[in-house]
Amino acid sequence: MKKFFVWLSLVLGLIVTLAGISAQPAQAADNSLARVKEKGTLVMGTSPDYPPYEFLVNRNGKERVVGMDVDIAKKIAKDLGVKLVIKQMSFDSLLVALETNKVDMVVSGMSPTPAREKSVDFSKVYYKGGQSILINKTDKGLYHDKNSFINKAVGAQTGSIQYSLGKKQIKNSTVKGLDKISDLILALKSHKVEGVIMEKPSAQAYVDNDKSLTMINGNFNLGKGENDTAIGFRKGSTSLVNEVNKSVDQIDKQDLTKDYLKDAGSYMKTNTHNTTMWHYAGYFAKGVGYTLLITVISVFFGILLGIIFALMRLSKNKLLHGLGVAYIEFVRGTPLMIQVMFVYFGIGLFINIPALTSGIIAVSLNSAAYVAEIIRGGINSVAKGQTEAARSLGLSNTQTFRSVVFPQALKNIWPALGNEFVSLIKESSIVSIIGVTDLIYQLKAVQTATYKGVAPIIVAMILYFIMTFSLSKVLNHYERSMRHD
Amino acid sequence: MTDMIKIEDLSKKFGDTEVLKGLNGSVSKGQVICVIGPSGGGKSTFLRCLNLLEKPTSGKVTFESNELTALNETQLNELREKMGMVFQSFNLFANMTVIENVKLALVKVKNMSDDEANKLALSLLDQVGLQEKADAYPASLSGGQQQRVAIARALAMNPDVMLFDEPTSALDPEMVGEVLKVMQDLANDGMTMVVVTHEMGFAKNVADQVWFMDGGVFAEKGTPEQIFEHPKNDRTKDFLAKILEA
Repeated sequence: MKKFFVWLSLVLGLIVTLAGISAQPAQAADNSLARVKEKGTLVMGTSPDYPPYEFLVNRNGKERVVGMDVDIAKKIAKDLGVKLVIKQMSFDSLLVALETNKVDMVVSGMSPTPAREKSVDFSKVYYKGGQSILINKTDKGLYHDKNSFINKAVGAQTGSIQYSLGKKQIKNSTVKGLDKISDLILALKSHKVEGVIMEKPSAQAYVDNDKSLTMINGNFNLGKGENDTAIGFRKGSTSLVNEVNKSVDQIDKQDLTKDYLKDAGSYMKTNTHNTTMWHYAGYFAKGVGYTLLITVISVFFGILLGIIFALMRLSKNKLLHGLGVAYIEFVRGTPLMIQVMFVYFGIGLFINIPALTSGIIAVSLNSAAYVAEIIRGGINSVAKGQTEAARSLGLSNTQTFRSVVFPQALKNIWPALGNEFVSLIKESSIVSIIGVTDLIYQLKAVQTATYKGVAPIIVAMILYFIMTFSLSKVLNHYERSMRHD
Repeated sequence: MTDMIKIEDLSKKFGDTEVLKGLNGSVSKGQVICVIGPSGGGKSTFLRCLNLLEKPTSGKVTFESNELTALNETQLNELREKMGMVFQSFNLFANMTVIENVKLALVKVKNMSDDEANKLALSLLDQVGLQEKADAYPASLSGGQQQRVAIARALAMNPDVMLFDEPTSALDPEMVGEVLKVMQDLANDGMTMVVVTHEMGFAKNVADQVWFMDGGVFAEKGTPEQIFEHPKNDRTKDFLAKILEA
């Protein structure tokens, strides 16, 4: 029992240390404008699943983020005399990305509500939409406005204004929050929800591109900012906001959003021109490429670090043993998703790690803990006599491990290790939350681009299966070649 | 004649259990010592203390004027090469072929070239009559064959002394002979040997000295004739009577 408390305090100590290093640094003086000009780039964070504000187009197999917000950001960057860089991520992650310096501004159809204004500086409003509710065309006549949804289920994007509008203003309704608009549309079509609350231009885009949908006016009571769309900045970026507001004023005066929306509309038409999955092969290929890249590198470092942590845990040195145990227990005791976010946003406060690298680091470190336990089991499974025989011949500890113990351990743990790597292919999909364009991310992109929900899922499913099945075959081949009895 | 191995006041405890209680003895070059006695008497532990696979709790083991108990790991590795060991359960490396088993230490420890090691390994396998099994894996060999490979593996390092830990106890009766034959040939060639065994016939015919061990002490030492024909100690008499009954 005493031992248990020693471990508990070790693990808690680790947590406190991690929490300590990740504490927010003090608010710096406002150098936001100078910083952007100095680095010569303006990084825009956006969640490109919200046509016509922002969405992906497929041009000759290559994807691009386009839409009204992108045109606006381009103008701002041009006015500032810097280059625009677009970072894609889920809507949920945008504000964290802003806070942790991953992006300079958020242009993602975001409404400047009082709650958000507590942690974000907003530009002037560049667009006023309205809130609509998207419904199935077959239900036309059943629903008229928000009050038709009393006791019904409606959907909205998690963390959005529409979500809180639904919660507050529709009596007795269940509001289902999903991350992606494309998933919400799927939920609508399969009647998991009866309506999806979204901004008018977006709703219009879906109605224009999907014949089975139609829209109604929500008639929500809209508070301050809830009907508006503005650009978000890190708190205290007054100089940058002021400069950007000059561009917004011009956009307003010259009514540029009209042109931008027209521009977006034409992109949407090219998008829906050809919605076969084959047309999007490039998207899927890119996704498979990244999924494989993440998996291969993570398997490599997973094994390397796994061996180190396993040896630490088996070490007679109390300190090494303690560190090994603490690492393994802590990593196994927290979800991979949180680890991915911790590396990207948490450690990202101090060193700027790109999303892909963050994803690979998190997945590798996570896999290492599981591999370490598998390897430890493998080492323990090799009979003690094997070590004794090697030592009696004069082999050193290291030589014995390398030539005798490890090869046999590897053979014993091969099936378990294979299992771990197969699941790594699938679990690596979690990196899509920080915007790494792996297969899951690309699946969502295709869903958004084609307004098709199910077909991309099937394609991705088949692709995952091909990857895992091929890996299993390769692993089985090596398992047979290691069998000596 | 100087002693090759000298054991002084050797004790070993596992937790609170005292397995060896202050043993003394010496082995000189060319001598064959057979250690006999009832199971649980500490014979194997004693043997494993000689090359420090088991770390003695107190006392000294001196091998060719080196006090093993005072050496560090690296120095110990060098001396272990010179003390070949054969185990009850063979302990052939399961991930290697027969010849790889024999070669491993030659290449890794003696830094011998692969060619040279191959040649030496094959001649040793020939010596134990198993050259044709060179490329087989241990799992496909009989127990007797595995033990002969294990002996060849230990001999490869050209040891000054061979330690045998009940080398025939895990064998089917029909295979005991082939292993004992190899051991007898070794003894005839003048190899220094310490053999923990239940094979009384072997002890009688081959040993120069028989050490009878019981309860963690050498209850009686002597020539085979003294021990088997005229035992003085009651425990020796008891043990031999039981063995002969069986």
